[in-house]
Amino acid sequence: MAEKQLECTVRAAAYQKAWFAQLRQDVFEKQKPYAIVQADMPLELFHTMDVPVVSNQWWAAMVAAKRLAPHYLDGLNAQGYHEGLCRYCSLSLASTIAEDPAQAPWGGLPKPALFSARLTCDCIQRVFEIWAAKLGSPFIPLDAPGSSELPPRWWELSRYRWNELFESHRLDFMVAQFHSLIARLEQITGSTFDPARLRTLMEGVNQQEEYFEEVREMICKAPKTPVRMHEQVSNVMAAQWLRGSEWAIAHARAFRDEVKNRVDAGLAACPAEKLRLMWVGAGLWHDTDFYTAFEKQYGAVFVWSMYLAFGPDGYIRYGLDDPLRALASRTVSFNEQLHNPPWANEWIVDQAKRHRIDAALVLEPLGTRPSATGNLFIERALQAAGIPVLPIVADMVDARGWNGSEMREKVGQFLTGLSSSAARDRA
Amino acid sequence: MSLTRIYTERAIHSRNGGPVVGVTSNTVPWDLLRAAGLRPVLLSPRRKETPLADRYMEDAFSGRIKAIFDFLISSEGERLAAVVIPRTSEQEHKLYLYLREVARQGLAQTPKPILYNLLHARSPEAEAYGLDRTHDLKQQLEQLTGRPIQPDALREAIAEGNAARQAIRALLQQRAGIAPRLRGSEALALIGAWYFMDRSEYALLAQQALREIETRTALEGPRILIKGSPLDSPALPAAIESHGAVVVAEDDWWGSRSAGRDIDTTMDPLRAIFEKYYFDAPSPRVFPSEISDAWFYSKASEVDGVIFYLPQEDDVLGWDYPRLRDYLGDRAIPYLMVRSDSSDEIGAFIERLRHG
Repeated sequence: MAEKQLECTVRAAAYQKAWFAQLRQDVFEKQKPYAIVQADMPLELFHTMDVPVVSNQWWAAMVAAKRLAPHYLDGLNAQGYHEGLCRYCSLSLASTIAEDPAQAPWGGLPKPALFSARLTCDCIQRVFEIWAAKLGSPFIPLDAPGSSELPPRWWELSRYRWNELFESHRLDFMVAQFHSLIARLEQITGSTFDPARLRTLMEGVNQQEEYFEEVREMICKAPKTPVRMHEQVSNVMAAQWLRGSEWAIAHARAFRDEVKNRVDAGLAACPAEKLRLMWVGAGLWHDTDFYTAFEKQYGAVFVWSMYLAFGPDGYIRYGLDDPLRALASRTVSFNEQLHNPPWANEWIVDQAKRHRIDAALVLEPLGTRPSATGNLFIERALQAAGIPVLPIVADMVDARGWNGSEMREKVGQFLTGLSSSAARDRA
Repeated sequence: MSLTRIYTERAIHSRNGGPVVGVTSNTVPWDLLRAAGLRPVLLSPRRKETPLADRYMEDAFSGRIKAIFDFLISSEGERLAAVVIPRTSEQEHKLYLYLREVARQGLAQTPKPILYNLLHARSPEAEAYGLDRTHDLKQQLEQLTGRPIQPDALREAIAEGNAARQAIRALLQQRAGIAPRLRGSEALALIGAWYFMDRSEYALLAQQALREIETRTALEGPRILIKGSPLDSPALPAAIESHGAVVVAEDDWWGSRSAGRDIDTTMDPLRAIFEKYYFDAPSPRVFPSEISDAWFYSKASEVDGVIFYLPQEDDVLGWDYPRLRDYLGDRAIPYLMVRSDSSDEIGAFIERLRHG
């Protein structure tokens, strides 16, 4: 495991562990409700109703980081779910099916009061329905119409002109579904939904994302990146799962302060930085050391992933008179923004230029096929912008079939080629 | 021309009868397109190679969607005035986005893509949204043709479509009961042809075929239901029937479930069309599973065995398999799961069924 350069990173990990322990205690001892949801759900509604949420993808990353994914996925396959099915979104289900809390991270997931997910790819409704039946909890889906109007530079519209960026009928529909979800949350909690409280939370989310934007700008402008990519991810995602809360805002501010101090002190994550790398796709959760493996020999540093960069562009919403509609605009198009043309390719190229990226590694997750789409447009766009691309065929959570040393060698050859051509260019 | 030949050739002719519009699934309302004066035709080209699509579309897409994309961005796509793509699977929405993107970047010319945002979860919100989107599709078709769709045209198109549905149901009767007369490999072609032709012509040809089939003697052999990835080729039923079984049903939109019920002629025609495609059309996104499984549960009780077909490219229906397998196991209904139509296990399974 690579060293943690930021104190914030250590604090984020400790807080998450304590938060989950408290959640388990509240569920088991006080019968408090909590929810298991997809990462692209409007977590803000749950937070407003004081229902803690565990994100499916966060838990999958935890399981993968504990090196438990092969065991759990083998178990899933043994039950008749074939090996070609999506692994990232089903690993948490697999951990439930395994029924071994002694081995599970932090004691495992207790029974939630409900499951909820947006029906993006066709397998999500199935994974969540199976999971909900397994634990005997209700599953509340939010259906997901497809987008048909996609102005390419969406990030220039998303903060102030979100009402026109996302089609009205899609926003209306999402708000209508929010009302049904809220009614269910009111039923579960016995509390009444307060739009003013949601608005306050959304303002907090804006504040949090503004801190992240400051960090992003520092990474763009500092001579060498002050914070490694995987530490960006740890700090950002710990706050995103609790976004808008006092702790999340304070943590984002502390993260910003610590990065700023490093920039002011001239501290670089890798003083020998020569090549700035971009990681396109979800994290390689079963082998996060991969992200620091090329610093010493090649001076190659991962400086960008979507996790920090998407915060400001994807989450900030100004004009919160109708907080439900603003939240709907944050929710309806995650998939298009991150995985589909033209939004994903246009945004990633813009980010690559702003971050002075020398080369991109693009995850091609064949074990999680729905996440693999959009990649060829992204790769073509990066190459057209003069940024070399190396596709990495791997699964984000499943270490079966992953050969870390072979992949490091392959990346090394790619980086050697980059260094040679850079030297030729200089000559 | 015979229905089998029409099904096999899947030709797209720019003949008289209005501009040709491609559709990508069973959930595009044929009747509405027809009422607009268009000639809808299902796109399901058979391509061994998809060199154009391979430039932009990842291997995560199914072979069928890749073939459609390859067709649409090739010069062949120029025969179409538009292509209507439903939100009936995630891959189809992405196909829509990819078409727009190659056009936006000037990488290829494509027919005008139209997204029909029909949802399939059963909820009051999704139902209201789907009806609104059906009105929206009507407007887009009117813009495409430059003329309004009249209520009489809707009623005529519904009548034409219903006649074809009745013809299909009559063919399906020849597969029902303990003495079927129609093999699955033949039925798939006879039924599937309706996606590639005018439906008034289809009804006539199907009735002719029916008269001949009715004179046949009953087929012998274990009666099989196929469940899994939609069968746009008769290869799997042919493989099963080569071992002496009879495929009597398929739980997908190409075979037994292609027609479904008639469109209701007693209500507002546009609402009736929407309800047909929302409530009575198979889709991988129908939710909850108790609704999507209902047909399978009913049909499974009428057959001697079930063969699940989950090809290597499947990443959706495999989630349903253990649940459906357990359902059959609880009722002592024999089943087999295969990942290819050339599986060696098929013969042994049929043999076991023969010997009880």
